[in-house]
Amino acid sequence: MSDFGKTASNTPTVLHQKVSKKTYKPGVPVPRPYPYADVPPFPEDIGPQPPGMPLHACMGLNSCKASDRFGTTGNPVTGETNKCAGQGYCSTAVDHTCHVQNDCRNQGGCGLYGTAEEMDNPGNNDCKSLGSCATPINAERFSTNGPNQGKSVWARARKVFETTVWPELRAELVAAQAEKGRKGASDRPAADQPLPETLGTPPSDFAETGPTYLWISEDNSERGNMTACGGSGMSGAGGCS
Amino acid sequence: MDMPTSAPRAHDPETRLTPAERKLIAQLDETRTRAEVLAELHQYLQVAVEVELATIPIYLYTYYSIQRDKESGEGIDPAQAYANKAGGVIMSVAVEEMLHMSLSANVMHAMGFEPQLYGKAPKSYPAKLPFHNPKGPKGPKGQKGPKRGDKIPLARLGFEQLWRFLEIEYPEQKDATPQSKNWDTIGQLYSYVRCLIHTKFLSDADFQQGAQAKAIQPYNYSPNNVDTVYPTGKFDPWKPAPPSPPPHWADGYPGASGAAVYPSSPDSHAGETELLTIASRNDALLAIDTICDQGEGNPVPGIGPLPTDDPSKHELSHYYKFLTLQAQFDSYTGSGEALPPEPPPPPQQQPAITQDMLDDAGLVVPFPDNPTAKSYPKHLFAIANFCSACFQYMLILTETVYRVPPENQKLFFNEGLHRSMIWVLDKYIRTMREIPVGDKQGHYMGPVFENISLGKRKDSFDELAKYGIKAAEAAQRLAETTDDPKLAHAYNDIAYYAALATGKPADLAPGMQPLVDVRPYWS
Repeated sequence: MSDFGKTASNTPTVLHQKVSKKTYKPGVPVPRPYPYADVPPFPEDIGPQPPGMPLHACMGLNSCKASDRFGTTGNPVTGETNKCAGQGYCSTAVDHTCHVQNDCRNQGGCGLYGTAEEMDNPGNNDCKSLGSCATPINAERFSTNGPNQGKSVWARARKVFETTVWPELRAELVAAQAEKGRKGASDRPAADQPLPETLGTPPSDFAETGPTYLWISEDNSERGNMTACGGSGMSGAGGCS
Repeated sequence: MDMPTSAPRAHDPETRLTPAERKLIAQLDETRTRAEVLAELHQYLQVAVEVELATIPIYLYTYYSIQRDKESGEGIDPAQAYANKAGGVIMSVAVEEMLHMSLSANVMHAMGFEPQLYGKAPKSYPAKLPFHNPKGPKGPKGQKGPKRGDKIPLARLGFEQLWRFLEIEYPEQKDATPQSKNWDTIGQLYSYVRCLIHTKFLSDADFQQGAQAKAIQPYNYSPNNVDTVYPTGKFDPWKPAPPSPPPHWADGYPGASGAAVYPSSPDSHAGETELLTIASRNDALLAIDTICDQGEGNPVPGIGPLPTDDPSKHELSHYYKFLTLQAQFDSYTGSGEALPPEPPPPPQQQPAITQDMLDDAGLVVPFPDNPTAKSYPKHLFAIANFCSACFQYMLILTETVYRVPPENQKLFFNEGLHRSMIWVLDKYIRTMREIPVGDKQGHYMGPVFENISLGKRKDSFDELAKYGIKAAEAAQRLAETTDDPKLAHAYNDIAYYAALATGKPADLAPGMQPLVDVRPYWS
């Protein structure tokens, strides 16, 4: 690996800066009135997470109570956490913008780049770098390949979570929870963490759509919250960072 | 004419030998030895690989000149819609050229030959494709028909550049002569290769010399992505994708998914899949069928090529995709451009657009023609060079795929090729084009794709890193000295992407990692 630290000037700034946010024109007209005035605002930063629970790619794909973008501190409007698996607000995996940038298992988004098989399995990837596209998964995003072509990536991710990912994850979590001799271990769920067989429904404002770009961008004011990329401007509200 | 979008079918029919091909095969059987046929196959498969490789910088250069989403959603006007469509269509062809290069390389690998990519892109531009004797249509500016030695430039989007694209993809007419040196159409070059494969000297065993599991695998290929799709026109960007119900604020426009056109079709291939691995003579012939049909159109015996790449008519050939794009320029009607009899050319496409409309709206970046690093001002030299270095490293990564243990190929492909292509080079070029060259013509930096040396393949990552450091340092110096905050951002982004490609993982921001070092596979 090259040693930028010794060679390039101001290297830490270069390597840790965020690339400048492009000023893409918003999609017009912006819907009015803002339909999410009563919904907790999209949190740019991911809150503290319950111990031993896997990170996830988007809204409604969480494995337990308090596992969502607001985390254990709860949302700023009610101060409450989500109640159980499947009810969470948005992703806890490190936000990423593109195919193969996921850090871990089941943390890939989908829809922009990737094969038919990958696009049919959003949020269901084997490991680091094998995910397909950006998280969180905005409601406007559609698959560009495979049997889900032209359809919602988020809806497909929720379906895959219900039928494939959650049953597998739950079995693993239940086993880890029951494991003895590792009291207080931070890499397993707490003993009182509920792991229901049936998932809860995602937050009601987004239960049928997933998180909309209008909400993620805080009423079109924080367009940099959008992580999807691509040259056509069709990954959601024209946003591209 | 928009691209066909109806449901795909299984796969294309196998192309039958033409009378001209049967005649040549008989001649080869009589006059050649097995050793000669194998040597010729080696030579012309490598030529085929280099022809496919040569098209990629040409198409990408024009692609990156296009501002596809300067206006979005309901703000899209006819000129913006055309620019976005042109971008999607050109990218769809570029993606299939990468497929074709991989297919020809897979045939070479199967025969025990190592495909050579590193340093094999055109030496300069305008470029003559290897052994090409262009038979393209008479040019729009009165060029007098096919002219021996015509060269293809790196140039921004325009009517004339689309004519150059037609020269590359000019369709082989019925019963054309197979050609090796001085080929008129790519189809005729592949026709010659087909004839060599059909000779009595070859058997399936000749295509089992390289491990099939180490070929570039089908699971790495996808026909469409967010860069190949384009909208039919205005769309409501706030509307969730189906099956989500339309929100109460929705207006009459379709959402992005409802407006999306997919210029490539998953049924667009002969054989079982697009990116075939090869283990028999028939596999090799099917791979060639896919290449020829996608490029020039499915041939109908006794008639000639279709506008589409197969009888299902779901996807236009490369030739017809470009011709349809050209037919939307108002200068198409009445152009002196001569076109082949088959397939019949499309009528003038509406709404007609002009170069002025595109330029006035800032939808085509004023790139210079045929740039090299040295053609740019000295202070931009290192920035340009890293673009070429990254391009060359991608070619080495592609060669390396054949050396990676099969169980690791998917991860290698994702972390090597996908990251270098989408997350480094794509973003780097998009940033380059924000940098003014400072010349009288008001040009902005276009990408360069030179055969820059990265030394021996085993050392190439370190050499890439040296170019990355030089680019990052140059960009940082420029960022510090410019008074233009927008330009300072662009220079900082250049530094960021150059550093991202080759920096130490510990130095990178969380979630980021450098490209894969190929050293273990070449030592």
